[in-house]
Amino acid sequence: MDYEALDFYEVDSLLSDEERMVRDMVRDWVDEEVIPNIENACREGIFPDEWRVALGEMGVLGAPLKGYDCPGLSYTAYGVICRELERGDSGLRSFASVQGSLAMYPIWDFGSEEQKMHYLPKMASGEWIGCFGLTEPDYGSNPGDMITKAEEMEDHYILNGAKMWITNGTMADLAVVWAKLDGVIRGFIVEKNDPGFSAPEMKGKHSLKASVTSELVFQDCKIPKDRILPGVKGLRGPFSCLNNARFGISWGAIGAAQACFYSAKDYALSRIQFDHPIASYQLVQNKLSWMLREITKAQLLAYHLGQKKDDGKWIPEHISLAKMNNVDIALEIARVARDIHGANGILDEYPVMRHMANLESVKTYEGTHDIHNLILGRHITGIQSFTREI
Amino acid sequence: MNIAVLLKQVPDTTAKITISNGKVDENSVSKWSMSPYDEYALESGLKMKEATGGNLIAITCGPERTKKMLTDAAAVGADTLIHISEDKVLDSTQVQNLLATVINNNEIEVVLCGKQAADTNAGSTGPGVAEILDAACVTMVSEVSFSENSFISVRPSNTGTEKVSTSGISVFTFDKGLSELRRPNVRGIMMAKKKVIETIKPEELGLGEDSDRIILQTQDSPAEKEPGQIFEGVGEIPTIVSKLRNEANVI
Ligand SMILES: Cc1cc2nc3c(=O)[nH]c(=O)nc-3n(C[C@H](O)[C@H](O)[C@H](O)COP(=O)(O)OP(=O)(O)OC[C@H]3O[C@@H](n4cnc5c(N)ncnc54)[C@H](O)[C@@H]3O)c2cc1C
Repeated sequence: MDYEALDFYEVDSLLSDEERMVRDMVRDWVDEEVIPNIENACREGIFPDEWRVALGEMGVLGAPLKGYDCPGLSYTAYGVICRELERGDSGLRSFASVQGSLAMYPIWDFGSEEQKMHYLPKMASGEWIGCFGLTEPDYGSNPGDMITKAEEMEDHYILNGAKMWITNGTMADLAVVWAKLDGVIRGFIVEKNDPGFSAPEMKGKHSLKASVTSELVFQDCKIPKDRILPGVKGLRGPFSCLNNARFGISWGAIGAAQACFYSAKDYALSRIQFDHPIASYQLVQNKLSWMLREITKAQLLAYHLGQKKDDGKWIPEHISLAKMNNVDIALEIARVARDIHGANGILDEYPVMRHMANLESVKTYEGTHDIHNLILGRHITGIQSFTREI
Repeated sequence: MNIAVLLKQVPDTTAKITISNGKVDENSVSKWSMSPYDEYALESGLKMKEATGGNLIAITCGPERTKKMLTDAAAVGADTLIHISEDKVLDSTQVQNLLATVINNNEIEVVLCGKQAADTNAGSTGPGVAEILDAACVTMVSEVSFSENSFISVRPSNTGTEKVSTSGISVFTFDKGLSELRRPNVRGIMMAKKKVIETIKPEELGLGEDSDRIILQTQDSPAEKEPGQIFEGVGEIPTIVSKLRNEANVI
């Protein structure tokens, strides 16, 4: 049976023709190439290289960026792309988020003209993969205290330190790395063959198995002078990237939720217990109608946020709310969908347990659920509560 | 070379069809798509265009909603889009006349279309248009190429496949081919958005309303399937045999 996306309020009818065409292109590709292969990719713990090629050929990487052979789509279109990719798998969407929002975006916004011309076209085409190194073993929610540092030498920089949990790390051709230069956070482009740089893969994940996660290790890593991002200093650099990626996640999570709803509805209608389909019982209907309610609200949130982003009338707190809410409900929907599937819900024949496990990561990365609560709390009260010193 | 591809928009093969007052209720169709065989015709047209440096003209006849399909065709590479705008459901002869007139007006050398549309399955458009144009017509082809002033097409025969050569204006109707259909990309979609669709009214083609000769009287949903029966154990064999013989009439 062909996938029919839940869109109770017909929110997609508000999209432009172009945005709908992009949606259909990505949705068809996910149906034909991703869903039949995703379980295998998870079992083997790989991100299939054909997916990189296809994303480049479709021209969706770095979706909202303009110029330098980038797609130049709207932010809303970027959201739609994320949603359709994550309907397939959060690992696939993670790849696109990192490439577009975390690696291409900082070069596009803060890079020199030469850096933009050198890196962006090849990243948009998928030829070069990027990753984003912010988190460290001891600094997750609190990246401002990072210890990775850069030293300025006569004709090069020396980087020392380690990053952890870096999506695409081992397969990346270049890494956008945030490190302290004289105590100030700066962005650096590190290429995979730079001396003193290695990116070993982290194994043993129960979540995002089709996504590569790595450490980045810098031991007197030497990079040329022209690899610093000249346009930004301080946490504003990484946080601008995160705003865009989080925006995409707020749409992406809906895709995962739609996939779980679709599977749960189908299963509930066909599974007979006590002589009747379980969909005929009120408790199960309550679960399905709750899913419908939450998905519809999430869709309206995401769409409205897309409009604000496209109009330039947004603040980071708007994005925090949508990321936090939509991932939260998607994860809960995945759990309830797993429950509706009974024992079958734990099998890889159905997508629900995979989405559920994936969404646990999505809840944590790009600002944990509670960090977004704190961001909103500070917005409401004017009092920051990240640390004990007020 | 001007290559025409005739496209029809049909209810998506996954869309639910409802009948009201003895007719398919078009308003209740949730998704319209390009008829699947037409997609193969379009793909073959795009290949021919690339090989010959030709111009691909996508033509459809139907209401406003069919323009979306032309834009989809442009997103994969159609150069010119022609929409014969008609809200009424026309009979096949009328549609063939309209299409043939547009083909004549555009100096077209080859016409590609699906072997039948996925909604009516009538299969008359290709041969009908060929008849009006006095063109060569090869049906059920899987591929067509152009070399040395003739078109070479491949179609099934009772021994396997056969190659057919035609010259002069030729019409080909497509079955599912071996070729993979190309996907659009963002660049194609953005160019397609800018492409102007040439809209023509049937009156402008000098074709009036008088030729309504085929009238679709009623349409029905397929009969409901009776529920299956399950038999267990060797003892049931005589019952099964008797049912297969007397009820199902298969043995
Ligand atoms: C699969 C995966 C991929 C990732 N990819 C990347 C990547 O590409 N690049 C990158 O830089 N990072 C990446 N990360 C890292 C991610 O951003 C961090 O895991 C995240 O920021 C949280 O940091 P932490 O894991 O150290 O948790 P911690 O910060 O230690 O948080 C642990 C718990 O404490 C809570 N907490 C922390 N501080 C407070 C507080 N002040 N008040 C109340 N509660 C608090 C948190 O909400 C959480 O519940 C990835 C992570 C995962 C799992």
